[in-house]
Amino acid sequence: MSEPAPHRHGLEAFFATAESTPDARVEIGVLSNRGFLNVRLDPRKQQNVRTAEQVLGQAMPLVANTYTSGRHRVYWLGPDEWLVETGAGDAATLGGELTAVLAGSGAAINDVSGGQVALRIAGADARTVLAKGCTLDLHPREFGPGQCARTGLARATLLLAAADAAPSYTIIVGRSFADYLCRWLAHAARPHGACFSTR
Amino acid sequence: MLLITCPWCGPRAETEFSYGGEADIARPLDPDALSDAEWADYLFYRGNPRGPHREKWNHVHGCRRWFGVERDTVSYRIARSFMLSAGGPGADADAGPESGGDANTEQED
Ligand SMILES: [Zn+2]
Repeated sequence: MSEPAPHRHGLEAFFATAESTPDARVEIGVLSNRGFLNVRLDPRKQQNVRTAEQVLGQAMPLVANTYTSGRHRVYWLGPDEWLVETGAGDAATLGGELTAVLAGSGAAINDVSGGQVALRIAGADARTVLAKGCTLDLHPREFGPGQCARTGLARATLLLAAADAAPSYTIIVGRSFADYLCRWLAHAARPHGACFSTR
Repeated sequence: MLLITCPWCGPRAETEFSYGGEADIARPLDPDALSDAEWADYLFYRGNPRGPHREKWNHVHGCRRWFGVERDTVSYRIARSFMLSAGGPGADADAGPESGGDANTEQED
């Protein structure tokens, strides 16, 4: 099998022209080369969860709006739906393994790498900037590390996760919304000073 | 704006949801046996009550699940939200409309 093409996020033009401010209080970045699997299975059959966890090498979050970190990030999307974030080069192999071990269980594993873009919003004023377009209560008491939510930000539907207490947040958004969302974030962050990074 | 409690995700803003009309509409098991009037009644006619109303909502910008809401059509006050079926994944075994799985919402609008 040939090496899979690196996952392009389509934001090259945006990040090439975005101008960083000194003393920025918000950092906007795109995480390159991420791969994503959508996992649907019935968690009421505990065997399904155990089987998937063995392949993933980590626990699946069964509590609503939480994620687990390990070799991958596994986000809760719904009572029978998860999103696995992994390296772009690992998604196909991992998806194949999950499909194989869960065969006959009614589970569905889909590689959705091409449709997703992962962004990172960090810095002292990150929460203030997100709050300009999001109806969730983002106070760390309500939305801290380990929690995630599919919600709306500036009228785009996306997955928002509290990554750490720095604070930093991960946004996983549909690829066709990514350019719009980055422009919205850059505009919302302008009064706070923004810097931009790709990695 | 309404604050609607998704049985899975908790209270979220109305903008995350999509309205699905009256709840408890069962599709006739044998449509061929129905008269045109009965079929039209199933397809088009709804109670449209003044007061408490059981209705379907979809958490379309969240967990994407359908659930039920009991809302007063005059005051817009939401009495509670509930899971629609006991059979769906994620629903508690006995989380029928009248039993567990309730997420009570007592907020003012
Ligand atoms: Zn929900």
